Amino acid sequence: MSNLDIGLWSFPALLLLIFLRVPIGLSMFLTGGIGLWLVSGLNLPLAKLKTETYSTFSTYSLSIVPMFLLMGQFATLGGMSSALFRAAESWLGHRRGGVAMAAIGACAGFGAICGSSLATAATMSRVALPELRAYGYAGGFSTATLAAGGTLGILIPPSVVLVIYAILAEQNIAKLFLAAVIPGVLAALGYLITISIYVRLYPDRAGTRPPVPYGERMRALLDVWPVLLVFGLVVGGIYLGWFTPAEGASIGAIGTGLIAFFNGGLTRKTLIDSFLSTARSTAMIFFIILGAAFYNGFLALTQVPQEISTFVVSQGFSPWVVLTLIIVFYLIFGCVMDSLSMILLTIPIFFPVVMALDFGMSAEHTAIWFGILVLIAVEVGLITPPVGLNLFIINAMDRETPIVETYKAVAFFIASDVVRVILLAAFPIITLVLLPG
Amino acid sequence: MVRLVSGMARAMAVLGGLVLAALILLTGISVAGRVLNTLFHGAFAQSWFPGLANWALDAGVGPVNGDFELVEAGMAFAVFAFLPLCQITAGHATVDIFTSRLSPRASRILQAVTEVVFAAVLVIIAWKLYDGMASKLRSGQETFLLQTPVWWNYAASLAGAVVAAITGVFMAGVRILEMLSGRVIMVAGAEAGH
Repeated sequence: MSNLDIGLWSFPALLLLIFLRVPIGLSMFLTGGIGLWLVSGLNLPLAKLKTETYSTFSTYSLSIVPMFLLMGQFATLGGMSSALFRAAESWLGHRRGGVAMAAIGACAGFGAICGSSLATAATMSRVALPELRAYGYAGGFSTATLAAGGTLGILIPPSVVLVIYAILAEQNIAKLFLAAVIPGVLAALGYLITISIYVRLYPDRAGTRPPVPYGERMRALLDVWPVLLVFGLVVGGIYLGWFTPAEGASIGAIGTGLIAFFNGGLTRKTLIDSFLSTARSTAMIFFIILGAAFYNGFLALTQVPQEISTFVVSQGFSPWVVLTLIIVFYLIFGCVMDSLSMILLTIPIFFPVVMALDFGMSAEHTAIWFGILVLIAVEVGLITPPVGLNLFIINAMDRETPIVETYKAVAFFIASDVVRVILLAAFPIITLVLLPG
Repeated sequence: MVRLVSGMARAMAVLGGLVLAALILLTGISVAGRVLNTLFHGAFAQSWFPGLANWALDAGVGPVNGDFELVEAGMAFAVFAFLPLCQITAGHATVDIFTSRLSPRASRILQAVTEVVFAAVLVIIAWKLYDGMASKLRSGQETFLLQTPVWWNYAASLAGAVVAAITGVFMAGVRILEMLSGRVIMVAGAEAGH
């Protein structure tokens, strides 16, 4: 077998391991390690390991990941979720489907200080789920709303997935964050429209509540100033070049930590729980990153990524057909695999392909636009049955609602996601308009 | 035994969390120092309160020297320290969809084989990290700004890697026992609620 063959055969081998429930990071690590062994002998993978685990785990730009995770944990403890929900509810709650809309609005706000979808979904559910049920919102509609709202945690910067993409594709994190802002707002708007369509189709699945006086609305709005401050400081500061993304993440963690402290949410016990939760997620993510580094090092040695991109370009496919296929691939695989693993696994293959095609934009714009499209496509996977993680997390909080009810209602939100992906793919200017020059 | 190993994994994770928090504070202080340093050097401070500004600059108000290197070394330690907890709580990302219909027995065999391989990988990682440390020790390489020996960084990480390897071997033992006895000793992902 030539090296190229070994490289190509590694795909089915890797998929087999993953589908046998071998942890994804371990699967990539094994396939990469054995592949390197076959291509160049056992000494190479062993010698690589001497420095590669340390250098991967000590990568400065990756330090953003645990920092953002801890920031999200502190944001959860700070009581900002209920302040956001109260503010959104006082403005929107009296409309038809208004409490569900408020939940989306609050998720968007929380997403601005939290880079993780699961944390956003879980935190907002604790606050909003009881309210939705109290105002007569159907079970499946309520859980589906929160599952979809949770994806705003990652769509609206800061976002852990974008950090990983930026590192893999060697792009500027600040510009990616900026480019994600309009698509994130569009996501929230899309969900609001979805809700208003849903409650017109099924009027019996949402209750009503009286409007709140304007004075009270203003007061509720004032309560969310810490969220605006932290978001503005972190994203604005990174963008204006006041500090590096990792420094911004530190400032954000300190900011949400202070909020949690002054609201009495930060005790010894909750601090330890935050550490444990951050530890678990960080270890999971970094082990996948390590496996991916190993696997991608092997692939690069076999020349597979270059061969694939040369092949695709030489076939003369339309760039838009290739892009469509890639996005459809993400939507399908997102049903069974988590977003970070998918990005780490596929970007080294797909990114050179996309960059070799001509979309009529500069290389940097193509890279940023593609990153946002990938982000959205993989994020849809969090709410697609059968294994959308957000669906499970929220359904576990509402024992009375069968998961099938959640599946039925979430289909409307998935439709809204698909419309948005098509819009953003067809009109790159929506993503790129905020970028300078 | 289960309690001892879980306790060790949790203790390592909390230690890693404390280091992470310390790095965050250090970075925050460094940014504040840099901002103040720029401010005190600026025309405004030099014309309105030069005494205070120069006193502060002389006192060393500025970014923390080598903060970058400390973050890198500390982060590697923290990640290695986080691994045992992830191992013992079955926190690694998997794709469950194709194996959910397996019989309990087949599922236990699969899990035992996976854990054994995982343990082997963690042991190899720790062993090779030790080799890496030994070669940094021999070469006497130093970090660029702080000029501390690079092998210190490796040694700190090795502590976490060794605990991760021990945890991995322990979990492999647990899963083999479960496979042989058919009893559940540790529920996978029992602490997933965090």
